[in-house]
Amino acid sequence: MAQNTFAKPRRVGVVASAQTDWRDAWPGAQHIDLIAAAVHQALEGSGLRIEDVDFVIDSGSDVLDGRSISNCGFLGAMGAHHKEESRVEDDGLWAALYGVNKIASGAADVGLIIAYAKPSEADLQQFHATVAEPFCQRPVGLDEATAQGLIAQDYLHRNGLTDDMLAEVAARAWGSALVNPRLGLQSAPSLEDILASPWVATPLRQLMLARPVDGAVALVLASERVARRVTPTPVWVTGLGAAMDSGNITMREPGFNACAVAAKAAYGKAGTSAAQVGVAEISAGSAAAELLTLEALGFAQAGRAIDLYRGAAGPQVNRSGGALPASPVFATGLVRLAEAADQLAQGASAGPAVVHAASGLGAQSHCVFVVEA
Amino acid sequence: MSRVAIVGVGQTHHQRRRTDVNVPGLVREAAKRALQDANLTMADIDSVVVASGPVLFAAVNQPEKWVVDALGARGKPVVRITSGGGTGFAGALGGYYQVAGGFAKRVLVVAYDKLSEGQLQYSISSLYDPFWGREFAVGIMGFSAAYWRARMDALGHTEEAAARVVVKNLANARLNPYAHVRKDVTVEDVLKSPPLAWPIKLLDVPPISDGAAAVVLSAEDLAERGSTAPAWIRGIAYCAEADNAPQRSMLMSEPLAHAARTVYRAAGITNPRRQLDVVEVQEPYSCFELSYYESLGLCAPGGAAELVASGATQIGGDIPVNPSGGCLGANPIGASGLIRLIEAAMQVTGKAGEHQVHAARLAAAQTGGGWANLRGLAVVSAD
Repeated sequence: MAQNTFAKPRRVGVVASAQTDWRDAWPGAQHIDLIAAAVHQALEGSGLRIEDVDFVIDSGSDVLDGRSISNCGFLGAMGAHHKEESRVEDDGLWAALYGVNKIASGAADVGLIIAYAKPSEADLQQFHATVAEPFCQRPVGLDEATAQGLIAQDYLHRNGLTDDMLAEVAARAWGSALVNPRLGLQSAPSLEDILASPWVATPLRQLMLARPVDGAVALVLASERVARRVTPTPVWVTGLGAAMDSGNITMREPGFNACAVAAKAAYGKAGTSAAQVGVAEISAGSAAAELLTLEALGFAQAGRAIDLYRGAAGPQVNRSGGALPASPVFATGLVRLAEAADQLAQGASAGPAVVHAASGLGAQSHCVFVVEA
Repeated sequence: MSRVAIVGVGQTHHQRRRTDVNVPGLVREAAKRALQDANLTMADIDSVVVASGPVLFAAVNQPEKWVVDALGARGKPVVRITSGGGTGFAGALGGYYQVAGGFAKRVLVVAYDKLSEGQLQYSISSLYDPFWGREFAVGIMGFSAAYWRARMDALGHTEEAAARVVVKNLANARLNPYAHVRKDVTVEDVLKSPPLAWPIKLLDVPPISDGAAAVVLSAEDLAERGSTAPAWIRGIAYCAEADNAPQRSMLMSEPLAHAARTVYRAAGITNPRRQLDVVEVQEPYSCFELSYYESLGLCAPGGAAELVASGATQIGGDIPVNPSGGCLGANPIGASGLIRLIEAAMQVTGKAGEHQVHAARLAAAQTGGGWANLRGLAVVSAD
């Protein structure tokens, strides 16, 4: 176990989590149904009751939900009645970061972290397009697919790579997703299927981009005192880092530098390094972004992350399948934390796990956790 | 837990409409003033929290990803926290835990709304349940009118009680250089102003403003390095009440009473009326200030009308409330909750200027949002 290098703060563990199934659409369930199902299951597994939960931090988007202050309408389903509650309008991993800090400070013992999405009820392209700065970037039609395409093009060109390598990355992700019970996939697209899928933003084809899904995830964080009583296999959050790059995509340096900054902070706090990491759960909007993220996390040199898919030494990447086969928008990163914690609790790695979330057009902002069994 | 201090504060001069700056310009103005007040630069800041009201207020999704460059925050953690009307305060709370939990030594919290650019009541109407509530949603005023009417019926409070809040706050706003409403009104004027959703009348309603506010929060070991004395956060909480909870009371704000219990315990306050020197509350309509008096324990339940009539909540009274003029003086909603915290910090550090309460050492800042179901409170002190 790495030395905890927080100032004085207390150790915080992930003690339970639950996810609904992730589907293209959940037409028969409202947001509150999905949220309540995840919260109920998370607590059921933990031995804690809702009365034991000190606070709720939720992640969600008013724009995606088509509703102002949408957290306000979901408080009952989240079990937040007469508790402290706050909404982080970013990926759920930032909500978890808030929760970890709150428990580490000593102000609370048990926190419920919730993220959800129903992109099937929204226009996801518009959701992303409205993130673009309104005067110069929005009028040219920049959206998430375009941003990812520009980044991928630059990455391939800079490193002398070809787009079939992106298909290799996507095929691996879908192959792993096939055994993820929450996705219920009957089959996964082959390399050929991926290369035959329609172009979306050159060099990216449909199956090289993250697939939006509906669902909800809830995760229980607890102080060490509570964590040890609740579960024999708590997973400790030992490192945290986050960083945001420029809002103007053309002003960013090549590579996911904000991700590297976040990773450096997280490794530093955990007293570990990329070489020791056994498991990585990362959120990438495209196959190229997955490679860029792995490089920024320190698992490969620039342009060489593809080697990790061809037997090079490195962590087990996205055993869950990651974000390409299933990306519930703002819930994607919190799912990664739940998956990594499950994998460590089941003994998948003796070393630490790295958890990653990204948000903003073309992965402008990054959040990195180091967690250890 | 590490003690957390407010070491710098900044506000824009709030206006009905700022056409000379865009959103990043507005945000930068407040952030710059807070950093100047703290005698720091962005290089000293470890992490940034951006807080603004519902995205529909201004139609830029995830605006923190836009303002990051204007803040000079590239390469730092930047996250947006939002929670309806109490957003600015919720942002400060998130920043507080980043410091208290050891994630950052210094956090810049910046809150804003540029309400001249959006459709305010349209956006607020969309907070109602799309199946059960939206068809008869009329912004937040209809709900608030029902709330006040219930209190009038049950407690015998009159329209004059709320009018006295307006007269007091607008008189105070004239002393506050950051407020933009400059009106001399009498109780009579308020009562005669046109009803919008009775008993709410035009003069019971705060303005719609463009404005931003920022604070620098610091860990204890770095807190004394600023240019001015720090204001210490002695307790802070923000509580929720489920929207459809059948036991919700229209008479008392239970989440506020809940937050007050937590915060008063942390701050060692057993008699708020006697111990607090000054209170800042976020009153979305004049009537809400009255119910806050009760939930905050400044008077007995039902005693708010009598309290405001006694003059005790005026600047020279024994428990001044909103010496800044509150939201009635300026209301850039997403920033309003943080402005209350800033005003409280200014009072205990002796920086409030013309609306300074004499020898204030201990102050409370209240906030709220949603359907009156999100309520927060902080207590700050000079030591």
